[in-house]
Amino acid sequence: MIYAVAAGDRLPAVVAAVGTAGCALTALALPGRWPSLLPAGLAGVGGGYGVLVGLHSGVANGAAPAVAAALFAAAELGFWSLERGAARYERPALVRRLLGIAGGAVATALVGSLVLAAASGVSGGVGLEAVGVAAAALTLAAIAFLASRSSV
Amino acid sequence: MTHAATPKLGAYAGLAALGLLGALATRRPELVVLAAPFALSAALGLLLARRPQLDATVELAVDRALEGDELELRVQLQADAGAERVEVLLELPRELVVEDGYNPVLLRLRDGERRDLLFRVRCTRWGGFRVGRIYVRASDAFGLFRHETVLDRRVPLKVYPAEESVRNLLRPLETQVFSGNHVARQKGEGIEFADLRPFVPGDRIRRVNWRASARRGELWVNEHHAERNADVVILLDSFAEVRRGDRTTLDPALRAAASLAARYLRQKDRVGFVAFGGFLNWLLPSTGTSQLYRIVDAMLDTQIVLSYAWKDIDTVPRRTLPPQALVLALTPLLDERSQAALLDLRGRGFDLVVIEISPLSFLSTPEGELAELGHRLWRLRREAVRGRFERAGIPVAVWGDESSLAAALEEVSTYRRQARAVHA
Repeated sequence: MIYAVAAGDRLPAVVAAVGTAGCALTALALPGRWPSLLPAGLAGVGGGYGVLVGLHSGVANGAAPAVAAALFAAAELGFWSLERGAARYERPALVRRLLGIAGGAVATALVGSLVLAAASGVSGGVGLEAVGVAAAALTLAAIAFLASRSSV
Repeated sequence: MTHAATPKLGAYAGLAALGLLGALATRRPELVVLAAPFALSAALGLLLARRPQLDATVELAVDRALEGDELELRVQLQADAGAERVEVLLELPRELVVEDGYNPVLLRLRDGERRDLLFRVRCTRWGGFRVGRIYVRASDAFGLFRHETVLDRRVPLKVYPAEESVRNLLRPLETQVFSGNHVARQKGEGIEFADLRPFVPGDRIRRVNWRASARRGELWVNEHHAERNADVVILLDSFAEVRRGDRTTLDPALRAAASLAARYLRQKDRVGFVAFGGFLNWLLPSTGTSQLYRIVDAMLDTQIVLSYAWKDIDTVPRRTLPPQALVLALTPLLDERSQAALLDLRGRGFDLVVIEISPLSFLSTPEGELAELGHRLWRLRREAVRGRFERAGIPVAVWGDESSLAAALEEVSTYRRQARAVHA
């Protein structure tokens, strides 16, 4: 959120407002133990960055992979803190979980860099946009489909 | 095992959708980058999700322990299909405290892995327990699904009351017909000298008192007091109790009852047990170690059950209170029904001793003039009850935090010796 406010030169108040709202929701969700509120907070924090990049045109923001990694790590840690129970972690389980979050953040940064590199290498067009829409819709459909049969 | 998606799954799917739709709307790839980890996490978590198969056994190092003892409890976990995070909570009664080992604990179980969790448990209070209900909650590496189950692997554990130190036991006024350790008033086989009498045919030569025979010019023999056993009935007043935190007046009463039963049984007396209150529980007098276990087991079942029904001593089976038995009543003197029953017992000629379990240390200090006045009145009423008992010839010894059970018993012994001297 701080990065979004500091890096923005257009409508910084809007960027700050969206980001602050997200932070406030997150701050409410964590001590209040409201898991349904945490995604809204994360969406607000991400939304602040979204407003920043949405107000710009042209080249992609190079900080996006780092922001995505930070947001993902924050989400993981946030949901971890909301988990029920006060069980004491055995050291190997704790180390694995921390490494998992760190690995996820690093993977996010790497995948994000690849996505950005791929996106900057292609020029726009109706056909490509249609492919993007289809890919996004397919991704969401796949998640929805998996979730619907996720009786495990 | 129940299975459910965590809120994280919906949240990640929602964040991914929001990011991707935002990217489409704003035509910015950065938002795809933001949405990608959530989409990938959700998708991978859903693809790799599976049901863990977990089982557990519970082993106790011992099935009987004393108050204050520490014992080892082993939970063996078996994972046919493992899970990244398995949270294990061993349900324990309040009276059992984990001294060593983490409860609950979170660990990782691989497929086919077997893990032992060791707990060192301290028994803080007597009671009969069933230990070993295990709550298991497992989740996958992505934390998108939660699997919960309760494994009921309970095993019995009996925690006996700790023993109070008792130096001298109360001697019953009357003895029974079987041999034991009490010197009876009757003459018979024994080692305690009773009297001299002239020799009669059939007397053993070794009984001849040669010194007396030489002085009197004819054969005289020694007579001895027989050594007999006694019947002791421990009567526990379970009408009411005073409780403060985890401590109640029933605890010292049970400790005293167990200690006395063990000591009397050790000297070959027959010991019976009656829990007299809202819940009536009795055990006929008998001897031996097995009787001690029976008594202690019966004690563990003792609990204070609130009842408004008037109960008198007639509700106790007649055989439970054999004639000439020494009745040791352990009571906090809180309920009129038990007081009436004890006076009734005395009226029927039982050799009755009241050990009062003082509830004073269980009470908070009265605050305010009115509370203090009430407290003083209540203590005066208790004094009056003790006076009634003493007028009926029942010795009452107060056992509280300030004194030991041995001191209370000694007090009763002194009372009985003096009463006998006055009577004589």
